[in-house]
Amino acid sequence: MMNKAYRFIKARDLVMRGVFIFCAVFSIVALGCICAFLFANGLPFIGRVGLGNFFGSEWHLDSEAYGILSMIAASLYVTALSTVIGITIGLFTAVSLFKFCPENAVAPIRQMINLLAGIPSVIYGLFGLIIIVPFLRDYISPNGFGYGILAASLVLSVMVLPTIVSVSFDALNAVPKSYYEGALALGATSEQSVFKVMLPAAKSGILAAVVLAIGRAIGETMAVIMVLGNSPVMPKGLFQSVRTMTSNIALGATELSGDAATALVSTGVVLFAFTLLLNISFSLLKEQGGGKREKKRP
Amino acid sequence: MKKLLAVMLLMCVCAAALVSCGGSGFDSSKNVTIIAREDGSGTKSAFMELIGLRGKADPANAVIQNGTAAVLAEVKGNPAAIAYESLGYVTDDVKALKIDGIEATVANIQSGAYKIARPLAIVYPGSVLDDEVNAAFFAFLQSSDAQKIIGDGYVSILNDAPAYTIDGSLSGTIDISGSTSVQPLMIDLAEAFRALQPNITVNVSGGGSGTGYNNARDGVSAFGMISEVFVLDKAPNCTYFNVAMDGIAMIVHKDNPLDSITMEQLASIYDEESTTTPIWSDYIK
Repeated sequence: MMNKAYRFIKARDLVMRGVFIFCAVFSIVALGCICAFLFANGLPFIGRVGLGNFFGSEWHLDSEAYGILSMIAASLYVTALSTVIGITIGLFTAVSLFKFCPENAVAPIRQMINLLAGIPSVIYGLFGLIIIVPFLRDYISPNGFGYGILAASLVLSVMVLPTIVSVSFDALNAVPKSYYEGALALGATSEQSVFKVMLPAAKSGILAAVVLAIGRAIGETMAVIMVLGNSPVMPKGLFQSVRTMTSNIALGATELSGDAATALVSTGVVLFAFTLLLNISFSLLKEQGGGKREKKRP
Repeated sequence: MKKLLAVMLLMCVCAAALVSCGGSGFDSSKNVTIIAREDGSGTKSAFMELIGLRGKADPANAVIQNGTAAVLAEVKGNPAAIAYESLGYVTDDVKALKIDGIEATVANIQSGAYKIARPLAIVYPGSVLDDEVNAAFFAFLQSSDAQKIIGDGYVSILNDAPAYTIDGSLSGTIDISGSTSVQPLMIDLAEAFRALQPNITVNVSGGGSGTGYNNARDGVSAFGMISEVFVLDKAPNCTYFNVAMDGIAMIVHKDNPLDSITMEQLASIYDEESTTTPIWSDYIK
């Protein structure tokens, strides 16, 4: 009797262990499949059309020009501008929540900022298309053209706000309270202590927020397609129709076939390389930051 | 908490003010916002071919919208926009321009006076119609039942078509292949035909107009689909039948005073090589 029950438990153990291992391995398999798909399709294509063609500035499918340089440039411009706007607003928001906001308003404001993260990106796109683009077109743009880098950056900067605010707020909170108190004891004002002591101490966490925001901005597709205009040309101004790597993939994915479709996969390879770079630098920053703080702690 | 509510209220008011300011009128000193479609769109390839820019890229400052609805929404909201759109999808919210003074009406497309239109045709060797099943489908294409489907998005060419008479004894398979521009219409027609003749299966596949000519000529398919004027050299043993016409309308905002545009003006607006951005006052005299 005893033996039978024991055997049943052991078998159940084995089965469940298998299930858990499968779950653990599943995400790795998924990652492997996606990488294999990207590189097996994308890299040979880049080799076939040549680096000069693929990283050239002309994208014209009918004459087999698959240059994505203009899209890389547009992606970088949009990402940079939106991160700058997002960081400026987000960092000050985090600082204000940290020290200068009335105590009972902190929780509701944080809640609402987090709520921003839950809004689907297509809604941001719609908002940009119906409100921001016409507004820029009628009141700001010098050439009566609302689409372009500025519109996309404005939309994206709102989208990255939750990431920046919550990560840098947590970073500020992780700095030992004694730093702030010590600065006050030395005669600094509250503002001086926060900006000159607390912010530098939370530097690595804030950098992590920046990297996460960049990652969010460079990968965003739907919202960007709707406000960018999507012409595959070199960006020269804020109000000009340009195309990012993500929108290039999304625009053609359902319509193109053959070499043109493979070119989209290759665009995906470049995009993947960018995000991989960002992820690696993020984890490096995290490691570095954690180590430093550990040592400094009394 | 009260302060917070006040702030939120203020934000709402600002947003509302922004929305209400959105609709400003037409200004002829503004640049033309050129709306195009994404590569691979059937409407785009037809339009570019018809205005003589086949295989050319979009002008650098064009806004590329992916989908009929997105194009309409943009033109509805932007007083400076111009776009091309399949005639069947144009709504009353926008204004369709005359081309060389000719209005985009069904009658003008049927007569050939309206320039930006193309036939959607099938090609076939004459012997194909000896087969009763094929002949039945051919008769269906000329029937009022088919014209009703064609009228939903395309221009029907046949007036006073007779109703289709069902022959229950027929059964078999019909293969149709070719132009991807005709394909969606042909699939709708094939479905309607199957509802009338349940024992006949119609397979519709794509491939492009070139495939349509080749498959009809070589007997791979009973009918080939083409979205251009029939060229005898491409399939010397074949003849053709225009199933419908596909008209493309040039649309602008309702506030735009422009009524008519010429083919040359269109070609210069949509040419990738035109370096200066057009301004509306160039066209409104």
